[in-house]
Amino acid sequence: MTPHWRSHSGTLVTILLLLPALIGFFGLFFYPMLLTVFLSFRPEGQVTGWTLENYARFLSDPDGRWVILLTFILALGSTALSILLSVPLALILREKVRGHQFYRLIVLVPLVIPGLIGALGLLLFWGVRGWFNLFLTQLVPFVTGPVAVNYTLHGLIMFYVWLYFPYTCVTTLSSLESLDRSIEEAGAVSGATRWQVLRHIVLPLITPAILAGSVLTFMAAFGAFSVPLIAGGNYRPLSVEIYKEISVFIPARWSAASAIAMVMGAMQVIFLSLYMRYVRRAGGAGGIR
Amino acid sequence: MTLTRAYVRALWDGRMILGYTLLLSLTLFIVAPFLMIALRSVGKGWFYRLWLPPQLTLDWYRWAVEVGNIPEVMKNTLIIGIIATAISTVIGIFAGWAFGRRQMPGKEVAMAVILLPRMIPPITYALGVAKIFYTLELVDTYLGVALAHVSVCAPYGILVLSATFEGLDERVLEAADVCGANTIKRFFYVVLPLIMPGILASMIFTFTHSYNEFTLTLLTYGPNTVTLPVRTYLAVGDGYWEITSAMAVIMVIPSLVILAMIQRRAEPEKLVGGFKGV
Amino acid sequence: MTDAMIEFRDACKRYGTLVANDHLSLRIRRGELMTLLGPSGCGKTTALRCLTGYIRPDEGRIFIDDKDVTDVPTHQRELGMVFQNFALFPHLTVQDNVGFPLMIRNLPKDQRTKMAADALRLVRLEGYESHYPRQLSGGQQQRVGLARALVYRPKVLLLDEPLSNLDAKLREEMRFEIKELVTRLGITAVYVTHDQAEALALSDRVAIMNRGRLEQVGTPEEIYEQPQSRFVAEFIGLSNFLEGRIEAVDGATMRVTVGDLKLTAPALPQTGPGQRVLLFVRPNEIELLGPDAPAGENVFEARVEKVTYLGDMMDYRLAFGQGLALRVQGDAHRRFSPGSPVRLRLPRIRCWTITSG
Repeated sequence: MTPHWRSHSGTLVTILLLLPALIGFFGLFFYPMLLTVFLSFRPEGQVTGWTLENYARFLSDPDGRWVILLTFILALGSTALSILLSVPLALILREKVRGHQFYRLIVLVPLVIPGLIGALGLLLFWGVRGWFNLFLTQLVPFVTGPVAVNYTLHGLIMFYVWLYFPYTCVTTLSSLESLDRSIEEAGAVSGATRWQVLRHIVLPLITPAILAGSVLTFMAAFGAFSVPLIAGGNYRPLSVEIYKEISVFIPARWSAASAIAMVMGAMQVIFLSLYMRYVRRAGGAGGIR
Repeated sequence: MTLTRAYVRALWDGRMILGYTLLLSLTLFIVAPFLMIALRSVGKGWFYRLWLPPQLTLDWYRWAVEVGNIPEVMKNTLIIGIIATAISTVIGIFAGWAFGRRQMPGKEVAMAVILLPRMIPPITYALGVAKIFYTLELVDTYLGVALAHVSVCAPYGILVLSATFEGLDERVLEAADVCGANTIKRFFYVVLPLIMPGILASMIFTFTHSYNEFTLTLLTYGPNTVTLPVRTYLAVGDGYWEITSAMAVIMVIPSLVILAMIQRRAEPEKLVGGFKGV
Repeated sequence: MTDAMIEFRDACKRYGTLVANDHLSLRIRRGELMTLLGPSGCGKTTALRCLTGYIRPDEGRIFIDDKDVTDVPTHQRELGMVFQNFALFPHLTVQDNVGFPLMIRNLPKDQRTKMAADALRLVRLEGYESHYPRQLSGGQQQRVGLARALVYRPKVLLLDEPLSNLDAKLREEMRFEIKELVTRLGITAVYVTHDQAEALALSDRVAIMNRGRLEQVGTPEEIYEQPQSRFVAEFIGLSNFLEGRIEAVDGATMRVTVGDLKLTAPALPQTGPGQRVLLFVRPNEIELLGPDAPAGENVFEARVEKVTYLGDMMDYRLAFGQGLALRVQGDAHRRFSPGSPVRLRLPRIRCWTITSG
């Protein structure tokens, strides 16, 4: 006797169940995305017609190309620095030193804080009157004046690292912890010093996870919006540029904004597929778990 | 041994100290911005290069509440949050049920697709959302902004709830059947209590994300639907760091409280989960 | 040069209140295969790891080849080790796995290839050089582990329950291979296991450990036939225990009173009448006789209480004397049914006693 809820028209029920999600997905994501695509090909301010002029204008303008370059610099720079920060951090955290649970929580903080707040705090801390510069000018000899961090490129990259390194760190740490310690013991017995064990055994085995985590960091950094909006100063990556088109200009330049959005999406997809291919190749040779 | 080798060797040998230095610096790095926001929000006369504000005051909070309209803004944020959570939870329950318990070809693909609104920078499709809302006159309405939030909140709801439903042991349901429960009774006495924790978790996640959501709100808000994140952003534009800090504190306290609560129950590392499978 | 290749001198290791190794003193001779045997938690793995250097003893010293290595780090101890879960490097080929110790020692590539090939030949895995560990079966992986441990011809080989993760049949095969290899190469080996059959089959000597202490060290025969303590007797093989008191000693034999029965057992040196003893006799060494069998030394009447058919033998539980019970294993061809009266004989030389209390 079949229970009531397992109906014979299983597929129909499944579809009905998925209906709200599908409606939401299409109405609030897919259709708007399509609309953005269409808008990007529409001449500015008009209701009909197709044109490539929005793309042409953005891509031929040196400022436009600079915006693309800037977004990549910010994303790649912060990703690279995140890796440099996360790997040693993960190696330390897995040793379960005193208070390691506290430090693990600290690592998670930037993930749960809205970018806006993080950016605000960072601006205050690294500003001319913030503690960093107070420390430099008052407690460090040979420093004559405050160091500019806010609204600089390197400062912005550091802000990105603050916000997005946890993705890399958490995935790296979790991969480290799933490593069988006896493999490292085998390495030590075979004559490898701790550094050699790290270099020849541990690092190759966690590299896939580091790369996977860094993809998350990259995507977050590439699409960052609220942070560069308030802390970017004159540096406007793609996301802010899009917003500028519809907020600064009157009437709002929807088509221009859409074209930039398409460029942004395309860049991200291209980069990601290249990266994934590289990751897969590196991961394959390194031995999949 | 060359100089670099010697230097690296010294670093390696001193790695215990280095390690603790790194951990402490990291803590400072992460925590200091919050401290500064907190101090700025209560500081009076903090114009010069001082480590701490010379006087403490609640003036800025008072300003935020009286002139900055924080209660109204808070009300907006909460209403929008509730609507977004309600819609997302409903979507999540049904979709979670489908993902968790029903046969579905291409389930993994579907799961990845569900997460797309979070993977793709919201600004890209927010444009489309804004355009649609202008046409449908949903801009500056509670429902409109809430719907915009649903696109980023619902995926989390679906993720959590599909895990919840998947974890629902079929044998328990069978036992209920054997004991004589009909579908309705079984739903209320067995299924609902079992999925309640998942529903609650999903609601907390979804509400938190709606509460913090900025990008989509920025493109769909109006004078009647200013939320906390947007209000804080506008305060930045005004240039008064003190006010902005006060608003930021008001905004962030609930999130930290929830983080503390969650950390005790679930593994916080699961917050990153759902991005696996990249 | 002493004949001890490895020596634990009063080694102690504590984890909080748990004493993993309690004043462990053990000498392992050159070229012998010594097994550390005991139940989980007895400290055998801790002792092994003190040898590798992964664990440092809190007190005491460790000597390898007459050198005090207590303060020498793991990677300088020149040991080979085989692990329970193989511990192969998943991202390296078989050849690179085996050649890893050589690579660490900066040997030139062609020499590494040759030595790795030799090692693989030793474990009969030629031809698998380019495979990855995940492509190999459990037994093959363990052989790679063995090859990696032996490739640089260490003087000492450590084996940490190497066969536990293999199925029973493979375990038996590999037992002999390991023993043969170690003997042929003249390596001193320390083998850790909880499987007593393995220990008895493989070892030159066995060290039985219990709760951080050494219970007994001896050849497999000594351990099996002459256990020095109740624990050892219980741990190795099956045993029956009877508590009794020495009544009289008569040269090479003595009379022991067990309850209201009198047994004759080999005399125990340094004991006299009145001494309480524990008498063991193994279930398969008790003779089961029919109820009409003639009386004699150590022949008693008993009644069968429980019978279990084991295929190749019968397992009986017998009641005899006053409330005493014995487990007897007998031939399956001659069966006794529950409730039937029988006589049993405990052959004198098979009664082993130790003092108790």
